[in-house]
Amino acid sequence: MAPRNLLDLDDVSAEELVALLDRAEAFHRDPSPRRALAGIPVVNLFFEPSTRTHTSFAIAEQRLGAEVVTIDPSDSSMVKGESIADTAITLAAMGVGGIVVRHKESGFPYVLARSFPGHVVNAGDGTHAHPTQALLDLLTLRQEFGRITGLRVAIVGDIAHSRVARSNIHGLRALGAETILVGPPTLLPDAMAQEGVSVERDLDAVLPKVDAVMLLRIQRERLDSALVPSVAAYAADYQLNARRLGLLRDGAIVMHPGPYNRGVELTDDVLDFPGCRYVNQVANGVFVRMAVLEALCS
Amino acid sequence: MSAVRGSNGAKLILRGGRVVDPTQGLDAIRDVLIEHGRIARIADGIAANEAPGAAELDLRGAIVAPGFIDPHVHLREPGQTHKETITSGTAAAVAGGFTAVAAMPNTIPALDTPELIRTVIERARAAALARVYPIAAITQGRAGKELAPYNLLVKAGAVAFSDDGSTVDDARVLRRAALYARDLAAPFISHCEEASLRAGGLMNEGETSARLGIGGSPRLAEDLIVARDLLIAGDTRKRWHIAHLSTGRGLELVKWARSQGIDATCEVTPHHLVFTDALFAGFTARGRVCPPLRTQEDVAALRAGVRDGSVDVLATDHAPHTASDKSGPLSETAVGFTGLEIAVGAYAYALPDLPLERLVVLCSTNVAKLLNVEGGTLAPGSIADVTVLRDEPWVVDPDAFHSKGKSTPFAGMKLPRRAIATIVGGALVYDGMGREPLVMRAHENGRTITTTEAGTR
Repeated sequence: MAPRNLLDLDDVSAEELVALLDRAEAFHRDPSPRRALAGIPVVNLFFEPSTRTHTSFAIAEQRLGAEVVTIDPSDSSMVKGESIADTAITLAAMGVGGIVVRHKESGFPYVLARSFPGHVVNAGDGTHAHPTQALLDLLTLRQEFGRITGLRVAIVGDIAHSRVARSNIHGLRALGAETILVGPPTLLPDAMAQEGVSVERDLDAVLPKVDAVMLLRIQRERLDSALVPSVAAYAADYQLNARRLGLLRDGAIVMHPGPYNRGVELTDDVLDFPGCRYVNQVANGVFVRMAVLEALCS
Repeated sequence: MSAVRGSNGAKLILRGGRVVDPTQGLDAIRDVLIEHGRIARIADGIAANEAPGAAELDLRGAIVAPGFIDPHVHLREPGQTHKETITSGTAAAVAGGFTAVAAMPNTIPALDTPELIRTVIERARAAALARVYPIAAITQGRAGKELAPYNLLVKAGAVAFSDDGSTVDDARVLRRAALYARDLAAPFISHCEEASLRAGGLMNEGETSARLGIGGSPRLAEDLIVARDLLIAGDTRKRWHIAHLSTGRGLELVKWARSQGIDATCEVTPHHLVFTDALFAGFTARGRVCPPLRTQEDVAALRAGVRDGSVDVLATDHAPHTASDKSGPLSETAVGFTGLEIAVGAYAYALPDLPLERLVVLCSTNVAKLLNVEGGTLAPGSIADVTVLRDEPWVVDPDAFHSKGKSTPFAGMKLPRRAIATIVGGALVYDGMGREPLVMRAHENGRTITTTEAGTR
């Protein structure tokens, strides 16, 4: 892969996506340690708390032989007013080859990448993008169905505030899947519709038509800012539960980027559902992150 | 009130330009004689012996118009002189073809006392470039709570009132302010963004913000306050002006208000006539401005409004910031663009078919009326504030700006028109004709900004 950074999937071609998924699949089959990043310092810069993504990146980096450096921005000079550009230049001067960054602001990795001469991997920026999450979702789908082209995938919930949904939309489009976005107008603007991506409001009508359902976490703060009436009202309209699982066609799977809120976007029935692929998604995270880091840094 | 005194004793002949002055129904090749800082005569040929000792400017091929007045600039002085000063801002004004600017009061401290108004006027007079007309705050400290002393502010030289940069959120405060100031000719100028809808919005809410996952401020946030303030204008019978309209619906509301007999005018900026929220792709800060850049539909509606006269005046909303203010993550970047030095080019770029006499009405005649100031005409006896333009393509290079603010989305664009000379009170204060500047007794006390000087900055 020629690009210097992975900031989102919108500038990654279908061929590049397939190559990354193939490589991740190879790591899945043979997870033994590699040397692709041997001697390269890679900094994990997580301005937002993250357990799974941070750990997943750290394992991927170590398995490729990188020198893993973790900076806690809360006690770094960045909170003392050093600009991102200054931080980028400083890290580059120390020989840092790659930065994995998560930030609460959409676009933050783009600003960092403008000043950092090495490689930047976006580990989630605001409500904009989470490209490695989308890659692991794509890998999970491909493992299940042997293909992505022609699949019909529903993404349900708070699309407006979801970086996972946005990156998945790019990836699914690029690989020829059909995406159906489902949610109330406050969490899913009509403007999200585009070629290959439709907007629906009635979850019950969508479920029988799809190969996979991606659920999104609905955050407590959305409930507190007049975007949905109540948990109960949201659940009545959009929660995946035992009844709605019964609407799915045979072989359909359910995915969730985690962490999930039991009793909000899903019930325990979903976690017990044989088609729930949550654990596979988490496992695939390490492999796609290895594939991305190897492609960028070596 | 004026920042630049007339040039007593000096004579200047502007030779052979296309003189466009709608107040006299004039659009023809003419000579213009300036004496004692006033327009003395306009004729088809003025002999040198009619004005012995007069300096002359050869303006063949140029457009000669009543001085352009920008009703909306931020000069940043006092308080933020690292961004701009009255001197650098008025240097930018004259280099952009503006003979006068109206300065918004969102300085630090805000222009809410007669002393501050007088200070701005005195500093502008010392700079001796463009005239500066201060706009005073509507509320003390622009805090939206307590009324400013309107009568004293007008006596000190304020020409209008605005809390620009902020909306007066409290309708009761705004209504009482308008009532108190009702009988003053100085209009209220509204910055229209409803706070709860604007929230943390960094750009227009729409298709682009939805795709990028950036929090948006909807057009509704602006339209609601445009409607509210026009209704308050009607209710209080206060003269009112809506700043930097960015939506088509906002313009429809202004037209409706006028149809109801409400004394309301409005302005549009160069950036809202050219750019849309598509500028945010790639997460650069170059598109961030309030109100935000909207959609192609809005751009088309605003252009139509400029053509058909429903937009009254053009205004740059010149908002200079330092380079570091305009870098970094979007949420931390300063709001607004430097505008004085791209304006005449940008207007021609946005509206290539706009008749020159309309341009002069929008940039000069109507602005003088809005602010109740001299100028807006080249009629004999009026002040000799003259804008000289030429239709020639040039490429915007912010490093060559006189303004300290270098951030503009027009950077690198080729614009079809530029200012080549600016005359204030009969004094040539900007000479961009690319030759040795005239030496004139006329402005011994003043300054002339030349392209040579610009190049060495």
